[in-house]
Amino acid sequence: MPKKNTFARRTPTDIGLHIWGILVFVYLFVPIAVIIAYSFNNGKVLANFRGFGLHAYISGINNDIIISSIVTSLQAAVGTAIVSTIFGTLGGVALARAPRGAWWALGLTAVLGLTLVTPEIVDGISFLPWFVTVGVDWGITPLNNGLVRLIISHAMFSMAIVTFIVRARLAGIDTQLEDAAADLGATPWNRFKDITLPIAAPGILAGALMSFTVSLDNTILSSFVQQPGYTPWPVYIFSAVRVALRPEVAAMSTVMFVLTLAALGFVGFVLRKAGGNATEIIKTMAA
Amino acid sequence: MSTTARPKQQPPAETRETAPTKQPLASRLFGASALSFPTWAYVVFFFIIPLALVIFYSFGYKPDEFTAIATDKLSFDRYPEAMSASFVSTFFATLRISILGTILCLLIALPFSYWLAVKVSPARRSLALALVMVPFWTNFLVRTLGWQIMLSPDGFLSNWMQSIGMLDGPLDILYTRTAVQIGVVYNYLPLMILPLFVAIDASGKRLREASYDLGAGKVKTFMRVTLPMAMPGVVSGCLLVFIPLNGDYVTATVLGGASGSMVGQLIANQFNTAQNWAVGAAMAMILIISTLVVVGVGFALLKLGQTITARLNSVPLQDGRA
Repeated sequence: MPKKNTFARRTPTDIGLHIWGILVFVYLFVPIAVIIAYSFNNGKVLANFRGFGLHAYISGINNDIIISSIVTSLQAAVGTAIVSTIFGTLGGVALARAPRGAWWALGLTAVLGLTLVTPEIVDGISFLPWFVTVGVDWGITPLNNGLVRLIISHAMFSMAIVTFIVRARLAGIDTQLEDAAADLGATPWNRFKDITLPIAAPGILAGALMSFTVSLDNTILSSFVQQPGYTPWPVYIFSAVRVALRPEVAAMSTVMFVLTLAALGFVGFVLRKAGGNATEIIKTMAA
Repeated sequence: MSTTARPKQQPPAETRETAPTKQPLASRLFGASALSFPTWAYVVFFFIIPLALVIFYSFGYKPDEFTAIATDKLSFDRYPEAMSASFVSTFFATLRISILGTILCLLIALPFSYWLAVKVSPARRSLALALVMVPFWTNFLVRTLGWQIMLSPDGFLSNWMQSIGMLDGPLDILYTRTAVQIGVVYNYLPLMILPLFVAIDASGKRLREASYDLGAGKVKTFMRVTLPMAMPGVVSGCLLVFIPLNGDYVTATVLGGASGSMVGQLIANQFNTAQNWAVGAAMAMILIISTLVVVGVGFALLKLGQTITARLNSVPLQDGRA
């Protein structure tokens, strides 16, 4: 392949674009760098740097409230990823294979689209009375569990993302493979498991990752549905913002950041081994 | 005529024979409509019904100090009540921050995504894209705290700017609208970059090369090929940024303090502090409707712009015939 063509000539516009690109990266990373730097703050107040050290890490790990909120968040994120991936994959496969103009497919697309454009605060206030009605008044007690509430509400939020990603992934692939499997006598379940799922896998994985992060990030919705004992990490931080921020918040966030990056690196590595392409996954996510 | 008529009579028999395989796959793969049932059930039970309940509540009232909602008498009275002077001013301030934030995100992301899709070599593009995603993988609240530290009057940035003489006094940005604006643009920027990148990337090198070959300059190629092809990305990016931004109040609370009140905060207060669900629900309805109106107006402006540019760009082929 010839290295580059007309596009490679460095004009002032190109140089300008390169500078812009680098500036945007700086803009995107500076606050993260600041948080990481301030996680080594030995002082009592996050924003006041008083000496370099690991105090914040040690006291963060020994703080039961912080640890339990992080654990709650991680549990909720894993649960959300599982629930929204199952429902979203079913929805995505159904939508991709729907006969043209089927009312249930158009309706589902519209409703899921609506979930995406509903402001989070509105979801929050609509879940609050509903959980009370269903969980307390109707006596469906699992819905009174804080973790279940978090997972259900977060999954509602990210289900549309998974559905649309899976649908997009399957839309480009025609049904011949599935037809062939059917002709060869595969049962519907085997066909789904051996043909449809592997084809949709990159989309499903992308969707699962998205739901995981969306859940981990969620603050507003969580602050409405949370129950005593199940305060997720962002809600803990948000309440600390109003009182006093200590360096422990930065320290634990740095730990989570490093863990997330490691997990993502691992996923990327596995994908590359499996012949996948990170750019494709990201594109699938963004499309 | 007769030759075309004959085969027409045969297909029914053929179809009957091969019916099991010719059926749409949908009905054989458990039936696609049945497959959609769990998702349907979920959104009905956890989205449609709760949302309908909020709409219903917005017509109710607060009967006494200790009850959050009563719906035995329904009226529109909560809507004018919700639109108090302070709500209206916060509402417009929120709208200003959201619209300005969306525009700023677009202005920052457009050259950046173009650079990423066109100028960065494919080998490095994966890494660059992954880097764009990194802030996305860190907690949004924590990133906002990063800005709080940076913008604080006794923070390192303030000290440094004073020491090199850029500032006379301490940095006076934190807890102002400017700080909120910086924060929201920062928080929602990746949501603008990604769809734009995908759209520009999809527009493809070949079309641009064709444009150059046909004698168009760089500017003309950008305006007439790349930008129109990127339009779907612009639209989805703007939606992805504007809608959550308009309901967000976390960023504003962290960076705006008292002056950073957003509509979302007022709604939350009605539910958490004032315990007046009817007014809160009415405010929420106003928020949703206004969000939809802004999105609608945005689409209308876009269509108008497209029509105008199409007029301007239409090339007179012969004697003014477009």
